[in-house]
Amino acid sequence: MRRRLAVGEVAITAALYLITAVGAVIMLLPFYWMVASSLMTLPEIIARPPVWFPRVPQLHNYADLAAALPIDRIYINSLIVTISVTSLVLFTSSLTGFGFAKYHFPGRDTLFLLVLATMMIPFFLLLIPVFFIVKELGWVDTYLGLIVPNAVTAYGIFLMRQFILGVPDELLDAARIDGSSEFGLYWRIVLPLSGPALAALTILAFLYHWNAFLWPLVVIRSQDLWTIPIGLNNLRLYASSTDTLDLQMAGATIAVVPVLVVFVALQRYFIQGITLSGLKG
Amino acid sequence: MRLSRRALTGYAFVSPALIFLLCFSIGPILFAFYVSFHEWDMLAPVGAMPFRGLENYRYLLTEDPLFFQVLRNTVVYTVAAVAISAVLGLALALLLNRRVRPLAFWRAIYFLPIVTSSIAVSLIWSYLYNTNYGLFDGLLALAGLPQHRFLDSPSEALPSVIGVGIWQSVGYYMVLFLAGLQGIPQEYYDAASVDGATTWRAFLHVTLPLLRPTILFVLVVNTIGALQVFDIIYVMTGGGPVNATYTGVVYIYDTAFKFLRMGRATAMSFLLFAIILVITLAQLRLLRGGFEA
Repeated sequence: MRRRLAVGEVAITAALYLITAVGAVIMLLPFYWMVASSLMTLPEIIARPPVWFPRVPQLHNYADLAAALPIDRIYINSLIVTISVTSLVLFTSSLTGFGFAKYHFPGRDTLFLLVLATMMIPFFLLLIPVFFIVKELGWVDTYLGLIVPNAVTAYGIFLMRQFILGVPDELLDAARIDGSSEFGLYWRIVLPLSGPALAALTILAFLYHWNAFLWPLVVIRSQDLWTIPIGLNNLRLYASSTDTLDLQMAGATIAVVPVLVVFVALQRYFIQGITLSGLKG
Repeated sequence: MRLSRRALTGYAFVSPALIFLLCFSIGPILFAFYVSFHEWDMLAPVGAMPFRGLENYRYLLTEDPLFFQVLRNTVVYTVAAVAISAVLGLALALLLNRRVRPLAFWRAIYFLPIVTSSIAVSLIWSYLYNTNYGLFDGLLALAGLPQHRFLDSPSEALPSVIGVGIWQSVGYYMVLFLAGLQGIPQEYYDAASVDGATTWRAFLHVTLPLLRPTILFVLVVNTIGALQVFDIIYVMTGGGPVNATYTGVVYIYDTAFKFLRMGRATAMSFLLFAIILVITLAQLRLLRGGFEA
C-alpha cells in the first residue's frame, strides 16, 4: 500500500514537471524561432514544411540589417533616452520622497495625496495634451521631447517616500549636529541607505523606457532619433514585409538578446522590482 | 504664520516635482477635458477652437459606427487575457511554489517575455501567425489540419492577439502569485493536513482565502493595463482586419494623430477612463466582499 502511494507520488511529480516543461517550451519557442530565422535565407524562412535549423547560418543578415538601418545610432539613442530618464526619475523621486517623508510643513499631506492622485491618471489621457505642450515648446523630434515629460513619476515618489520613512530620524539629527546641510543629509545619508528602493526603481524605469513605444512614436519624426522599438517598427514598414523577414528577425534578435542577458544576470532584482510595482501594463 | 527653516527646506525639496506634475500631469488633464468639448486639429490656436458642447461625446455614444465595436474588442481582449493569464499564472505559481525545482530556472523562462520589447514580440508573432509561411500554418499543414488565417481573419484575429497578450504577461501574473503564496505560513498547511484535508481542500480553504489580497491586486492592476493595450495591436494588426482588433487606445491614437480630431480623441479618452474607473471599482467591491467562506 505504501509502495503504491510512493509510485503515485512520483508519477504526479513527473506529470507536474512535464506540464511546467511544456509551458516553458511554449515560452521559449518564439525566441528560438526569432534567432533561428535571423540566420536563415529567405527561402528557408518561408519554406513549407517549416525549416527548424538554418542549413548554413546566414550571418550576413546582420550585416544587411546594419546596411539598412543605422543600428549603432538607434542603440545610442535608446541608451541616451533611457539613461537620462532613469537618472532623472531616480533623482526627482528620491529628493521629493525625502521631502515628504522627513519634513513637516503645512499642506504636506494634501500635497502627497495630490501626488497619489496623479498616479491614477492613465498615460493615454495625457498623450494629446502633453504632446501639445511639447509641440509648443518646440521639442517635437528632439531628445528633450523624449526625456523631459518623463522626468518625474508619481509612482517613484511614492515608492521612495515609503522607503525613506524607515530611515531613522536620529541619524539625520546626528548629521545636523555635525554641521551637515539639509541637502547633505539627502546626499550622504538618505541616498546611500536607499539602495534597495533605488535598485527597484532603476530596473522599473529602465525597462519601461527602454521598451517604450507609444510616446516615441508620437514625438519622433526623423531617423536620427529612432529608438530601438521605433526602429523595429520601421523595419516592418520598409518593404512588403515578406522581403524583410530575415532583417526583421535579425533586428528583433539584436534588440532582445542584450536585455535578456542582463535579465538573466540580475534576475533576482528584476523580480523584486517588478513584484514591488505592479506597474507593467 | 512664520515657517521654520526646516519647513521651507521641505517645500524646496518637494516643489520641483510638484510643479512638474502640475505642468505635465494635472494641467494637461484639465486641458484635455477642455478640449473634449471643442473641435480642434491642434494646428489652430488654442484660443480659437470652436466650442461644440457635448457634441464629441454625443457622436461617440450615438452615431459613431466604431465606438461600440472598439469598446467590445477592448473588453473582450481584457476579460479573456486577464482571466486566462490569471488562471495559468496561478497554476504555474502553485507548481513552482512547492513541487517543481529549481524555482529560479523556471521562473526566468516564464518571465522572459516581460522584459522583451513588445514591438519585437509583435514582429515575431506576426511571422509565427503568418497565413502563408508562418510556423503555425506549417504545423497545421503537417498535421493535415485545415488552414487558419489567424491575424488575417476577422474572426480569428482577436483571439490570436489575445494569445500573444497571454504569452507576454503570464509570467508576470505568476511572479505576483508566487510572492503572495510565499507569504502564506507553512503551519497553516500542516494544520490542514493534521485535520485530514486533501490537497484540493487545503487549496480551497487555506490558499485561496489567504491569497485574496494578491488576487485582488493582480486582477485590478492587470485589468487596468489590458484595457490600455496598444503596442501589440498597433504593430500586428493596426486594428484590422475590418476593425476586428480595434481597441481603445489604438482608436484614440488614430483619431488624434492620423485624423487630427483632438476633440473627439480626448472625449474618447475620458470615456475610456470612465470605463476603467467603473470596472476597477466594481472589482474592488466584488472581490473585497468576495469569497468569504
